[in-house]
Amino acid sequence: MLNDVTFGQYYPANSFVHRLDPRFKLLALIAFIVMLFVANNFYALAACAVLLFAAIAAARVPLGSVLRSIKGVIFILVFTGILNVFFHSGKTVYWQWGIFKVTSEGIIFTVFLMFRLFFLVMASSILTLTTTPVSLTDGIESLLKPLKLIRFPVHELALIMSIALSFIPSLIDETNRIISAQKARGADFESGNIFKRIKAVVPILIPLLISALRRAEELGDAMDSRCYSGSKNRTKYKKLRFGWRDLLAFLLVGALIAGVVLLNIYCYNIFPQIYAYIRIS
Amino acid sequence: MEDIIVSENLKYSYPGQEGFAINGISFTIRRGEFVSVIGHNGSGKSTLARLINGLLEPDSGKLTVLGMDVNEGKNAIEIRKHVGVVFQNPDNQMVASIVEDDVAFGPENIGVEREEIGRRIDWALSAVGMEKYRHSTPARLSGGQKQRIAVAGVLAIKPDVLILDESTAMLDPRGRKEVIEVVRRLNKEEGMTIVLITHFMEEALLADRTIVMNRGEIVLSGSPEEIFKQGEALETYNLSLPRISVISQNLRSAGMDIKDVLKPAELAAEILKNFNNRGISGGESSFPAPADIAPAGEWDINIKNLTFTYSKKSPFATRALNGISLKISDGEFFGIIGHTGSGKSTLVQHLNALIKLPQAEKKYRKPKVKKGQPAPLLPLITVGGFDLSSKKTDFKSLRASVGMVFQYPEYQLFAETVFDDVAFGLKNFNKKLPAEEVEKAVRDSLEIVGLNYEEVKDKSPFDLSGGQKRRVAIAGVIVTKPHILVLDEPAAGLDPKGKKEIMELLHKLHSGWCKTVIIVSHDMDEVAENCTRVAVISNGEVFACDAPANLFKRADELSALGLDVPLTTKISACLEKGGVIIHSDCTVKDFSQKVIEVYAGGKDA
Repeated sequence: MLNDVTFGQYYPANSFVHRLDPRFKLLALIAFIVMLFVANNFYALAACAVLLFAAIAAARVPLGSVLRSIKGVIFILVFTGILNVFFHSGKTVYWQWGIFKVTSEGIIFTVFLMFRLFFLVMASSILTLTTTPVSLTDGIESLLKPLKLIRFPVHELALIMSIALSFIPSLIDETNRIISAQKARGADFESGNIFKRIKAVVPILIPLLISALRRAEELGDAMDSRCYSGSKNRTKYKKLRFGWRDLLAFLLVGALIAGVVLLNIYCYNIFPQIYAYIRIS
Repeated sequence: MEDIIVSENLKYSYPGQEGFAINGISFTIRRGEFVSVIGHNGSGKSTLARLINGLLEPDSGKLTVLGMDVNEGKNAIEIRKHVGVVFQNPDNQMVASIVEDDVAFGPENIGVEREEIGRRIDWALSAVGMEKYRHSTPARLSGGQKQRIAVAGVLAIKPDVLILDESTAMLDPRGRKEVIEVVRRLNKEEGMTIVLITHFMEEALLADRTIVMNRGEIVLSGSPEEIFKQGEALETYNLSLPRISVISQNLRSAGMDIKDVLKPAELAAEILKNFNNRGISGGESSFPAPADIAPAGEWDINIKNLTFTYSKKSPFATRALNGISLKISDGEFFGIIGHTGSGKSTLVQHLNALIKLPQAEKKYRKPKVKKGQPAPLLPLITVGGFDLSSKKTDFKSLRASVGMVFQYPEYQLFAETVFDDVAFGLKNFNKKLPAEEVEKAVRDSLEIVGLNYEEVKDKSPFDLSGGQKRRVAIAGVIVTKPHILVLDEPAAGLDPKGKKEIMELLHKLHSGWCKTVIIVSHDMDEVAENCTRVAVISNGEVFACDAPANLFKRADELSALGLDVPLTTKISACLEKGGVIIHSDCTVKDFSQKVIEVYAGGKDA
């Protein structure tokens, strides 16, 4: 039942993008997303696309696995698209029925929006495909460090995330084993109405919960006996390092920001009407 | 040598529980000693480990570690720097999903400098022989490897004392060996003080000194030889004699002069010495009575060409079974052995269609066969009258007839009362069963597993002891009176007495409710003592399938697979070098008899 759950999306390889500092990758993703929404014409959007595909190529992950990430959100994308096509206001009306109308501006805007969203999802998937959950956690912890000043428990949060990640495989195993065991006792999880099915899950959930509590207790003892006493006086073995790759990538992202801004200023004349609508929206 | 741990009249009781878990014990452990601690489940062994480590605070008495009193809270962290504990379940000790991060956790906690942490990781990983796995994910390692990582994680703190709290209980023999070797090396080469808490008598023998605990008290303490001499005393403490001591006793009672020794080669030497004294320079025993070959019955199991791949069509595809063909006759007590990951569990899950054959899946369509190519071999399984390769088979009744007890079955208990939990399967298989019949079946099955129905039926299964929980879980499977009962490692994690009782229970079931019993096991001695036939699974294939007497003659081949052989086989091999050939069915009883037979034969000659 759960055999096919491979945790995370990480695609093992040793590419340029894989070896970037996770903190940088997180920041670059945020910068990229901001640029996607700053871009107000197709040229600026094309600049984003160039960087995106360059990143995919440099990451040496199959294009298929990047595109597959869209599959998960395709429903939301299509739904947003339909809403936009039918409800966007514009001057050139092709078709109208009640409150629904299709305008040329609406179509152009929707296409533009679709590209934005596709690129957004693809860029995020590059991050998760090239970064292990562990280094993502490290990156987040490091980026959140300033919050320590307002006594936000950054270290504890990162430790919780790290432990959660390391426990997922054994909890999946455990779930599979309990499911099999109850099936062997004639439990039926696949038929009956929704209420019957929910009730059928009880013999899985209770043992799983108890086992999770037992594990937590043992883990607590193991951590205590390994001298854990919170973040006080703690050193950290792994230091994230900002290397030449990061510098190079940093320059590329900087170039994108500059490019998008320049294209926004100088090219909006080419698609004036789009510019107008995007500003309105 | 310096006294490193000193305890005087130590007492501890768990809050809300009656009586003392540790009841006034005094002992001293010196630097560099290797001490093993044995005792039945609940004898206080683990509590003792937690007290020494400062995880629990004693009620009274004195306990000092390197002169520091554990009663003083401020010493806790300092004591833990010097005393490391490795716990039972390796999965529950990992805080990170990369090996080196996990090993770094301890040194990070005590504020070790970055470069020094790096050096300590190098050292700790090489001390446990896991250097190559520095950047691996623990989830992908074997149990023994994971536990070695846990040991490394403790070593990286550079403790003086290493306590292993049943750290080998959940491992297979190979993993157990790996961990024990690491521990012995640490003791010999690094001079580390070791406290090994274990249920395995064979492991306890390796120590310089053995402490026996019973109901919170230390009842025996001395060298392993001295301890295991006291045969009956051990049994009153719910422990078993190691098999080697049982053989020695048997031989002694036949008039042979056998010293108490703990290694197979030494025992063989003792036996040969006796033979020499009688002028027997060689000899051969009679053959054991051939095992009854069960005739074909109504409930034979037939497996043909069984192949199975996990996560098919994904980058993680792993072939678990590779063309298995096997016949198990009605009425057998059948053993399946092999390493973790050899495919044993996958194999048995086919028997009650928890894993269905591809042809039995709803979506299955016959593959098109190109002209000139042979049709692909399809796996076939029949269990009695059930054809598992057909979509039309009533899989529910199949599961009612083929009971399956998983590893650590007590972890599946879920209901509010023992009665409801045991009745769960029964009600699933037959929703219309009248209440009186349900009650009768539950009563019968609880009583056959040795529990008092009136006493336990309304209790919560979670309030029972470990051994009782396992019995309830087994009762919950046999309540449908399955004809075939499959058990995955039924005795895992129990103390010696618990193991013995579970095996006795299985024999009781075998002669009553469940005509065919199939056990999956790691324990060669257990299999040799109990099974009529044994299949060895290796890399998803049947390596051999035979009666123990014949199978274990191939000791060399089994060792090549990394599998162990029963103790009797090891002693026989040593005897053979001395010209004495013993043919036994590998049970301790038969082996002793055969040795005595040759010995007695010498007298006549």
